[in-house]
Amino acid sequence: MPFKTAITRAARAMREDLRLHVVAISSLTVAFLCLAAAIFAVTNLSSVAESWARQGRMSVYLVEGASPEDVAQLRLLLDGLPEVREVEHVTSREARAELAREAGEAELGRLPADLFPASLEVTLAGGTSAARTAAIAERVRRVRAVEAVETYEAWFGRLEALVATGRVVALVLAGLVLLCVLFVVANTIRLAISGRRDEIEVLKLCGASNGFVRGPFIVEGAVQGILSSGIAVGLLLAAFLALRGDVDATIAALAGVRAAFIHPTIAVLLVVGGGLVGAAGSALSLRRYLGV
Amino acid sequence: MAGNGKVVRPFAFFRAGNQAHANPNQRPILVLEDVYKFFRPDVPTLRGVNLTVERGEFVFVTGPSGAGKSTLLSLIYRAQTVDEGRILFCGRDIARLTAASIPYLRRNLGVVFQDFKIIGHWTVFENVAVALEILSMPRRLVRARVSEALERVGLAGRGGELTSGLSGGEQQRVAVARAIVAEPALILADEPTGNLDPTLALDILTLFEEINDTGTTVLFATHDHSLLEARAHRIVYIDDGRAIEARKGLGAWADRRTA
Repeated sequence: MPFKTAITRAARAMREDLRLHVVAISSLTVAFLCLAAAIFAVTNLSSVAESWARQGRMSVYLVEGASPEDVAQLRLLLDGLPEVREVEHVTSREARAELAREAGEAELGRLPADLFPASLEVTLAGGTSAARTAAIAERVRRVRAVEAVETYEAWFGRLEALVATGRVVALVLAGLVLLCVLFVVANTIRLAISGRRDEIEVLKLCGASNGFVRGPFIVEGAVQGILSSGIAVGLLLAAFLALRGDVDATIAALAGVRAAFIHPTIAVLLVVGGGLVGAAGSALSLRRYLGV
Repeated sequence: MAGNGKVVRPFAFFRAGNQAHANPNQRPILVLEDVYKFFRPDVPTLRGVNLTVERGEFVFVTGPSGAGKSTLLSLIYRAQTVDEGRILFCGRDIARLTAASIPYLRRNLGVVFQDFKIIGHWTVFENVAVALEILSMPRRLVRARVSEALERVGLAGRGGELTSGLSGGEQQRVAVARAIVAEPALILADEPTGNLDPTLALDILTLFEEINDTGTTVLFATHDHSLLEARAHRIVYIDDGRAIEARKGLGAWADRRTA
């Protein structure tokens, strides 16, 4: 069956059953919006995790009264490691001042300085593995001037677990949306078929192949899928652009990254996938009506 | 349609206009051999039906309601499948056709029903054109062939009207136009006058005879005795699932041909 004929017949059928198709597209839009929102959340969680992982850090706390020679020797050791990008010496006074500044509590500045251990804040090169970070920490820990080493592994572990959970939630949500889309499209097409059963019978009696009969219905399903997923992506983009100005600075301050919209390729895949799922839903629901 | 613009017609040898011929290769258009059809076990709706229809014949199929007339026709257009026996259409056993081949059989048949089976919200043109769109015929040719078919059934110039607005007789004419527009070899008419008053019924019968005059074979199922008496065509009577030759019409048909 020529594609053009299928499109012409589908367009006519959609005009005739406009209300039914509008209802179906609205329902599908809500489903696709859930999926797009989940993808958006996972995209941003992943970028936060990547950003934090890229900025590998280590705090080397010094024993109280560590001599400048011992500290210099420790710095020499750290500077000699290829993974170490930067080492900054934070004295007890500087640590106290920084805490007071971050907390916004001037009172903290009056606490005795020796409550705050001096440290070397080490910035590691991007891509340093967790195992290598642990090995460096172990080596540094043996130095006489070192009291403790904090690698923030627990924090990274929790963040990675959070992102992994987010990905699973998004996958489950994608599965649910897929079922939802198939269900809505199949029911819409079934409703359309019930009103057009005589049309199908006539086509079959005139010698139409199953492909000829299916064509317009599959086009209708695909159009429903493409329109609803397209509208969902559009709505999400509009919401993102509207809210970005207000919340972007806050997110950047908290997470260290700016909020990003879902990748254009994923957005296109979502729309194309919507069309394919819509077409599949139509094809599935038509099977039982072709036995004239 | 093929890439060169030529219309692909599967079973192209099923063309209208072929007459009965002495050549053994020119087989009868339709042969039913010992056909049985069961809808309930041990109670056959058709029992051992034997029937041969030559090319270009006009055959009335009659009998009481429930005798199996519609079942007989539905076996020919493969809405039903025979349980025993064979149905040869142009020498091919249609009971053996695969599901994928059935559309190609139907493209070489024209079927007209008592309830018209036309789409009310389509125009007259769309209802007729659908039989050609299925064949992927070029739009220009579709327009020309539909106009010609509508003229033959007396609906010239009314292609743009919605069929729901037509009278019963006119709707049946649309159905007849759809059946003949693809120039099928055989037309099956299943009580086509059942919903029409006697005058309109005779008009529709005349229309089928005009189509038959161009060489198309017609199998016309009816239980209307006035129609059977009005014309001298061959009559096959279906009674209790058996086919009985009630009136030999072939001679009359042949006489009409040679006249």
